[in-house]
Amino acid sequence: MTSIDTVLASGRERLDEEMDALEGSVGYEETAYALPVTYAVTGMAVHDAASAREAYAASGSSVLVAGECLAAAGYAAEGGEGEPYTGFVPDTVLRRLGYSLVDGSIAGIGLVAGSPDDADAAAAICREMQEKYLLTFLAGGVIKTLTEAGVKVGLEYRLVPLGSTGMAAIHFADIIARVAMMFGGVQPGDTDRLLNYAAERAKAFVIAFPGLEDEEVAVIDGFRVLSIPILTPEGYEGGEWIRVPYLEAVREGMERRGIRVNVVAIPIPMACSPAFEGKSIRKEEMYVEFGGAKAAAFELLRVRPADEVEDGRVEVIGPEVGDLEEGSAVPLAILVDVAGASMKKDYEPVLERRIHTFLNYGEGSWHVAQRDLVWVRLTKDVVRRGVAIADLGRLLASKFRVEFPDLLDAVQVTLVTDRERVEAMLEEARAIYDERDERIAGMKDEDVGTYYSCTLCQTFAPNHVCIITPERPALCGAITWLDAKIAYEIAPAGANQPVEKGELIDPVLGQFEGVNRFVKKASHSAVDRVSLYGMMEEPMTCCGCFECIATILPEVNGIMIVNRDYLGDTPLGMTFSTLAGTIGGGAQTPGFVGISKGYILSDRFLQAENGIERVVWMPSLLRNELKGRLEEKLERMGIPELFDKIADETVAVSVEDLAEFLARVDHPALAMRPLI
Amino acid sequence: MSEEHNPEPGNRILEVRLGATKAEGGTRERVYTVGGAGTFPFLGAGPAAGHPPRIALEICDDTRTWSPIVLREVGDLAEDTGAWAAAAETTFGADMVRLSFTSTRQRGFDDFASLGTTVEEVIGATKYPLIVEGSTEPAIDSEVYRRIGEAAEGERVLLGTAEADRYRSVAASALAYGHAVVAQTPIDINLAKQLNILLHETALPPERIVIDPYTGTLGYGFEYSYSVMERIRSVALQGDADLARPMISSAIDSLNVKEVREADPETADEVAIRWEFYAAFSALIAGAEIVCVRHPGTVALLREALRALLEGSHPQEEAYGDESA
Amino acid sequence: MAMKALDIYKLLPKTNCKKCGFPTCLAFAMKLASGKVDVDLCPDLDEQTRELLGGATRPPIRLVAIGAGERSFTVGEEFVLYRHERTFYHQPGLMMQVADTWPEERIEGVVARVRDETFHRVGEDLSVDGIAFRWESGDADRFGGVVGTVEACASVPEVIIADDPEAQAAALAHCGNFQPLIHAACADTAEAMCDLARKYGCALAVRAGDLEELKRLVGLCRDRGVENLMLDPAPATLRDFLARSVEIRRRAVERTDPDLGYPVVFDTVPLGLPDAATALGILKYAGVIIIDELGPASTMAALTLRQNIYTDPQKPIQVTPGLYPVNAPTGSAPVLMTVNFSLTYFTLLGYLEAAGIPCYLFIVDTEGMSVLTAVAGGKLTETLVADAIKTTELENRVDHRVLIIPGYAAPLSGKIEEETGWEVRVGPGDAAEIGEYLETGWEA
Repeated sequence: MTSIDTVLASGRERLDEEMDALEGSVGYEETAYALPVTYAVTGMAVHDAASAREAYAASGSSVLVAGECLAAAGYAAEGGEGEPYTGFVPDTVLRRLGYSLVDGSIAGIGLVAGSPDDADAAAAICREMQEKYLLTFLAGGVIKTLTEAGVKVGLEYRLVPLGSTGMAAIHFADIIARVAMMFGGVQPGDTDRLLNYAAERAKAFVIAFPGLEDEEVAVIDGFRVLSIPILTPEGYEGGEWIRVPYLEAVREGMERRGIRVNVVAIPIPMACSPAFEGKSIRKEEMYVEFGGAKAAAFELLRVRPADEVEDGRVEVIGPEVGDLEEGSAVPLAILVDVAGASMKKDYEPVLERRIHTFLNYGEGSWHVAQRDLVWVRLTKDVVRRGVAIADLGRLLASKFRVEFPDLLDAVQVTLVTDRERVEAMLEEARAIYDERDERIAGMKDEDVGTYYSCTLCQTFAPNHVCIITPERPALCGAITWLDAKIAYEIAPAGANQPVEKGELIDPVLGQFEGVNRFVKKASHSAVDRVSLYGMMEEPMTCCGCFECIATILPEVNGIMIVNRDYLGDTPLGMTFSTLAGTIGGGAQTPGFVGISKGYILSDRFLQAENGIERVVWMPSLLRNELKGRLEEKLERMGIPELFDKIADETVAVSVEDLAEFLARVDHPALAMRPLI
Repeated sequence: MSEEHNPEPGNRILEVRLGATKAEGGTRERVYTVGGAGTFPFLGAGPAAGHPPRIALEICDDTRTWSPIVLREVGDLAEDTGAWAAAAETTFGADMVRLSFTSTRQRGFDDFASLGTTVEEVIGATKYPLIVEGSTEPAIDSEVYRRIGEAAEGERVLLGTAEADRYRSVAASALAYGHAVVAQTPIDINLAKQLNILLHETALPPERIVIDPYTGTLGYGFEYSYSVMERIRSVALQGDADLARPMISSAIDSLNVKEVREADPETADEVAIRWEFYAAFSALIAGAEIVCVRHPGTVALLREALRALLEGSHPQEEAYGDESA
Repeated sequence: MAMKALDIYKLLPKTNCKKCGFPTCLAFAMKLASGKVDVDLCPDLDEQTRELLGGATRPPIRLVAIGAGERSFTVGEEFVLYRHERTFYHQPGLMMQVADTWPEERIEGVVARVRDETFHRVGEDLSVDGIAFRWESGDADRFGGVVGTVEACASVPEVIIADDPEAQAAALAHCGNFQPLIHAACADTAEAMCDLARKYGCALAVRAGDLEELKRLVGLCRDRGVENLMLDPAPATLRDFLARSVEIRRRAVERTDPDLGYPVVFDTVPLGLPDAATALGILKYAGVIIIDELGPASTMAALTLRQNIYTDPQKPIQVTPGLYPVNAPTGSAPVLMTVNFSLTYFTLLGYLEAAGIPCYLFIVDTEGMSVLTAVAGGKLTETLVADAIKTTELENRVDHRVLIIPGYAAPLSGKIEEETGWEVRVGPGDAAEIGEYLETGWEA
């Protein structure tokens, strides 16, 4: 075992000595970047020993610069090593490599250096790198080890043999330096930008095997300055090198540099496309069904630590489709375990809902409902073609990875068809559902520092900005705070952007300095300020998709709410659609505001106007829909009698009749401070 | 930049340079700068007027889907892409050629070598900056854009077209071989912005992006495009840097609509030219810096109109001639 | 500055007397705020309030009517600089010119075209709106004679272009009762022109290349009792027109210069470049555009551009729901269902026509929503489709029972199948692929 700390010093010393002893010309051919690392770091185009020493000094004795000067001196003196080694990679080849990196056909690059003891392990690592769309550079004895083990090397195999010694590793650095200058606009000599570029974009890591000379260790250790992690499965300890087991080296390297591979094809004998989403499977077409009323079934998606999730692993516990008779009804647990650095527990329910969509994408699979109410069917047709229960798992594993590439690093699926096990797990699942419901129901605006925006409607309402908070879903009712948060995670440049609340300006109106700043920008300066919890002063703008409109009724000092589905007249004297036409389009109209149904039940609901107690009228349709939840809320508030004091169209359509009714029931709004 | 160096306060459309002279590593005899304006189109004078818009004539390498009206007009040229391109500049008076690789749209296309050859041929035949349109099929994008980019290395062509779900190959080609990119989004200001952000993440510098907000055909949704261009220009001037980019407009379906397709052969050219002209002219008024048409006759009509709109706002040589001279 | 509904409401009597025709004062206030009604409908306001509300809610550009009878039109009453801010309301009238020096046949030719030529697009008949008579002969009687002859054979809106009051009088003697636009008064002739405008109750255009001079002329004419005015900024180039027309519109809608709150006349003829000038007038705020003899191709393109620019951007144009035969289909032809959002319809229609495949386009009423929005918003449902199948009597029109639905409507396929009993197939999500889909995949 070599101690990095020990050999680093002697390695540096040897580099210094060799630099001192350097003579003659120094340089590569077929490049416009002189000695690329040296050029990028110092801005100096080195061509002989004297200028090499000058640059070395200017770089603050960078080991990379030393390594490069020495390698280039060898080139100038003797030329490259020749077949099978590539040596220094010319600019034209590099440009193509860079293209593939930006283009995504190469996911990242890796360097494997040294001389592995275990040829099979080294071959396995290289194979894994090939499979993960990485371009692998090789330096040192590893090349011989691999070719002797029958592994083909060469650019066409994405295994590039740089040179026979560990020193050839320096070419890995000159590649990164040239990519930064060619593709990243890094100017020679601008070390800060070079390091920034490497830190943000260099999707690169090193795997080091034993047998490196001290100065080779020093040069490779120098890669760390370019934010390249050095992993070592054997032979080294100490320093900043990271010890990893063989099998985990590639995964670890990819994870540390955020390298991801996009899965494309779904390996199952069944077509899978959104076109099949709405297909239903009738009883006579069905081979087997799960859940429904006939057997217990549930689905559960959970986030797990990375080491507990093996990406793509699918397991069926209990009978497979071949063990089942045609027409049978079977219990099923769909357990999806996911891992990802930015995946949070809060996202579980939102992702879990996608199980429904994904399973319906299958040509012969069908899924309804959610949680412990799920009902799944497979057709005779696809079962005949070889689709098994495990394929549902494969479908889910792939779809989740494809749809959430930035969020999820690994997805494994377990499908349980064993009756006893399903029933046993059901209770546990239910407890998890309950816990989730409580957490979401209990989530308050003050619990979070970030709200989210939605500007999807700007297509037709140019200046409309929806601000979505835990207690105030988007006014279309379709996007909750959590939905928006995840939408942002998935598409950071998308229509849902984080909005830092910033300083609280007015707790009653719900005005925040950060929200105002955001709205001003996103509305193209059309709107300066918005009140999240009020409708009289600077209310939120209205797009046109709102589920309901809340408007004031000055004559009765109250608020009426009318929902989209109600086609009749209102006490204001306007129907929903006339009202919508008047206030929509992205304008801020005091006294009128578009809202979601969900917001009506929130404690923040128009609190600046006394909230729910101010509501005097809503259509019976809406009143009935909200009844249970609203009564519960009013009960909690200690005003259960209020529900019956809210009029609907059966009681009053004109404001005169409404006034009479409200007086009769003594509605609290009548005694409140005047709205106008 | 200090106030002193920037005498015109306010926000400007970013300048994008197209084409490279010999000194810059290309072979173009003219290069253009588009963008730069600080006002709505044709309202400014002096530096605030920005650079004059450019008229591009579209040609293709596989004429099977091209309008028969245009093919009749250009005759044998259609069989010789290089000659067609040369004629666009000399005979038809376009500021630039937009070469569309329609051959890549056929199913199972795999003649990638022909792309490079055609690009070289067109480069050899022309003197002005070029726009080159690659494939629309993600499966072959990588190969197509590498070939095109490589063949045009150093010429700083405008490469199309990047879209939100397939922009990597175009961006990679632009980065690797020094080109600019057309970024197209479907008639939506926020999507246009998002794509610019995505391109930014590939490290493509903003001054190498031209926005294509997608132009619907006259009579078939053109009004959406007109308004989205006005909106983009408007928010850009209000300071939204992600949208302060030059725009390109091409109502590519103009010659496929019923009105044109079914026109009497005697008047077909007239109808085709007008249908293209009204959309392209309106796009200029809405803020497009590059307008593209396919009928040679439309170019002349646009040229006259542009001259009347630019009168007095630009130095003669920049407005109509060679910027690099 | 425009006022918000609530601010207006505060100034109203709050009696809900309904005399304005609205059930509540608040409803009236909302209509006022959007500039859709006039404050005078409320009989109970004091003079000061009436004036205040009028100034804040009346359209910043005056509505002016040109012509009498069926083809008369109004211009003005616009509120915004860009159509995306709200919409443009009154499309400009295109007035094709004839000169009194022209031979009779040439004049007749133009008159016949204006009278008879129409293009049918999207359920609308598009045509040039009227005739502009240009006095070139220097002979007032001759001018009057030409107007008289034309008047006898065409009743279309007119513009009388003559800067000489006597020539105007000669023309108006024949057509004055049909409310032509008098074009144009300048400083010297304002008085006489105003007298004519008053006598016949016509709109009058004032002409000056300088906005201050235009304002002065407006004041002059108003003092002489003429309110229906239009502004001709006398451009010498396209660039002039753009700059002046934009400035006039800006000051008018910002309500900073009420004297510029009148629609603009654009006489394109002296500028040459007929296509460019006509398009510019349509795009940039002209109320009346005097055009040269545009050929049929130009006319059709210009009218189409006008139709595009004057559609309401916040209200997607809708296609009438129903069954549309494409490429002469027979009973075995495929039926493609989609929504009545015009852009969807046109795009799909374009591809189908280009592909040349006979089929039926089956349009259901989603109130102009696109497929994606209609599915997401629950507007497109299986019942809607089932009802539409009934109303269109689809079962009698085709001899199969297969319905192709848009790719984005896939989530509804099962439900539609159940509700209608038709076999549902899911087509592509992109209209561009429909030709290929039908060629490879379709058989009933």
